[in-house]
Formats: sequence, C-alpha cells, structure tokens
Amino acid sequence: MSSASVKWGEAGVLSLSGVLDYRTGPTLRKEGKTLIAAEKAPTLVLDCSAVEKSSSVGLSLLLAFMRDASATGKTVEVRAMPQDMREIAEVYGLGELLAGR
Amino acid sequence: MSVDNAYAVELKGVTFKRGSRSIFNNVDIRIPRGKVTGIMGPSGCGKTTLLRLIGAQLRPASGEVWVAGQNLPTLSRSDLFDARKQMGVLFQSGALFTDLDVFENVAFPLRVHTQLSDEMIRDIVLMKLQAVGLRGAFELMPDELSGGMKRRVALARAIALDPQILMYDEPFVGQDPIAMGVLVRLIRLLNDALGITSIVVSHDLAETASIADYLYVVGDGQVLGQGTPQELMNSDNPRIRQFMKGDPDGPVPFHFPAPDYRADLLGKR
Repeated sequence: MSSASVKWGEAGVLSLSGVLDYRTGPTLRKEGKTLIAAEKAPTLVLDCSAVEKSSSVGLSLLLAFMRDASATGKTVEVRAMPQDMREIAEVYGLGELLAGR
Repeated sequence: MSVDNAYAVELKGVTFKRGSRSIFNNVDIRIPRGKVTGIMGPSGCGKTTLLRLIGAQLRPASGEVWVAGQNLPTLSRSDLFDARKQMGVLFQSGALFTDLDVFENVAFPLRVHTQLSDEMIRDIVLMKLQAVGLRGAFELMPDELSGGMKRRVALARAIALDPQILMYDEPFVGQDPIAMGVLVRLIRLLNDALGITSIVVSHDLAETASIADYLYVVGDGQVLGQGTPQELMNSDNPRIRQFMKGDPDGPVPFHFPAPDYRADLLGKR
C-alpha cells in the first residue's frame, strides 16, 4: 500500500514525501490546499526531496499547489525534484514550468 | 513464488485452445522489464490472443501467466481489476468512444478508476495530450481526427493511469509513413522516459524490428524463435528466415492446404 504526506518543514517550505500516485493524490491535494491557504509567508517552496516515487499525479499536485499559491499572491519555487520525476516532467513538457521556480 | 524481477511478464507452459484447435501449445515467453519487446508472426498466429492472455481477458487451458509477481489466472475478480490498472492497451482499432470528445476519451479511465478531482484530471489529461502532440485537439470529436491522430489519442488514453506495462496491438496498421514515424518515436520515448515495459504485437517487420530491443516470432502455436532483431535476421531457422525476409513461399507454404487443382477444376477422372 502506498503512503505519502504533505507537511510544513521549515518556514514556507512545504515538503512532499512518499509515493505520489492515484491512491495518495486526492488526500494530498486536499491537505496541501488547506496548509497553503493558512500560510502567511509570501514565498512557497515545494520541496520534493523526500518523494520516493511519482507518477503524473505528483506533477499535477505541484501544479495545483502552484495555482493555490498564485491565487493567494505567493511566489513559488519547486525544489529538489528527484531525477525520475524530472524525466517524467520532461515527457509531459513541464520541465521548464517546474524547473528553476 | 514470483517471477524473476528482470521480467515484467512471464508465460510458463501456456496452452490455449479454441475448441479443439490449439492456438498456443505449452509456450514460454518472458518479457524483459523496461524494454520494448516485439511479438511477431503471420496474421492469425494468435498474437492478439497472447495480449488477451497477458491482460487476463482470456484464461489459458493450462500454464501460468505472471505479471508483476502475480499469477493472473489464480486471482479473484477484484484483484484482477487492480492488476489491470497497471496495464495499458493500445487497441488495433484505437477504440475511441465516438460520442466523447478527445478530452473525455483520455479522462475516461481517470474518472472510472480514481478519486481524483476534476482539477487534477484536467492537468493529467492535458499532460498526456501534450506528450502525444494533441493538446490543441482536446475539443475535437473522434470523427474529426485522422487515423494517425486517433491512434495518438488512444495512446494518451492508454497511458492515462501511468501503467507499468503498455501493450500495443498492431499499432502500425493503416498508418501513413509520417504517422508511423511519430508512433515509433512515441513508443520509444514513453518506454525509456517513463520506465514502461512495452509489448508490441505486429506483423510490420521493419517498424517493429527498428524499435524492439527483443523479438519473439510466434507461429503454429509455438515460439519459433527469439532474440535481438539482428540475431533473428541472421537466424539459420528457415521458418524465421522466411518471415524476417518476407519470402512468399518457404516452410510456411503460400498455398493453404487444398485438394488437387486439376481434379478441382476438371473433376476426378
């Protein structure tokens, strides 16, 4: 059974961990939305260093959190995407959108 | 007991019959993980049947079909339903839903098999369509698409759930050279970048040999040969050579068995 979590690390850094797939995605989406809405910091960092495995659901989560942040006027940066997640992002044409933000 | 981890799919001693006719007779096939494996053979040799055995739409009369560590014929219906989520199939006909637009065709498996919100389904559908170059066509209906575009939409739908194994049933049939080139490139890209195990069932020799890491040639209910495309091209086996070189006559005769021609035309003397 896959497990995953989304929680605050240091200030303004939202850490995604575990397996991001169809089983874990719906809950992570809801939890992340609530956490981002309650955060006051002007910058949001999405830290992927603890992601074990990601399908396209993980990429959609990053996009969804970016939309949440932008709706509340925050700037966003994606940090430490694992290599395989980065490769999947390239196939779906998201390399530029998610890298260096 | 489970399969060797180097193989995503393993058929062991599989026999499958239609009535009294054996389609496969005690066949062993191993599909290497993360590679493109071509299953080739003349029309009617049971290639599509093989895909249906791997997808567990058909049960073998005897033998084992191991996929991701599970022997499919022994699974319950609900376990089988779960096992199938990790397999994608690009059907020969494309099999798009004609009354749904491109977007909804790709969204369909996500709506049926997941609890994802509309917002995330939209992201994922657009990603899959972007990968096959048809994001701009999301509002079109299938009858507005060319044959090549239909197949690419079907491919986007086949990868909607991020399958571990992707099966292609005669992907090149009826495609013009450009569409064929696009498909070959996509199959390779998806295999390598997404870490998918690809099984390409085809009788299109040039395309399949150009893309496959490993090939099986099946016929007469058996595996006639296996190896890299180069190894099979240089095979000493006359049956394989006939197929690989496309000779009309050889061990596989040009003529279906028939009574004497003269007697057929002029009557017996």
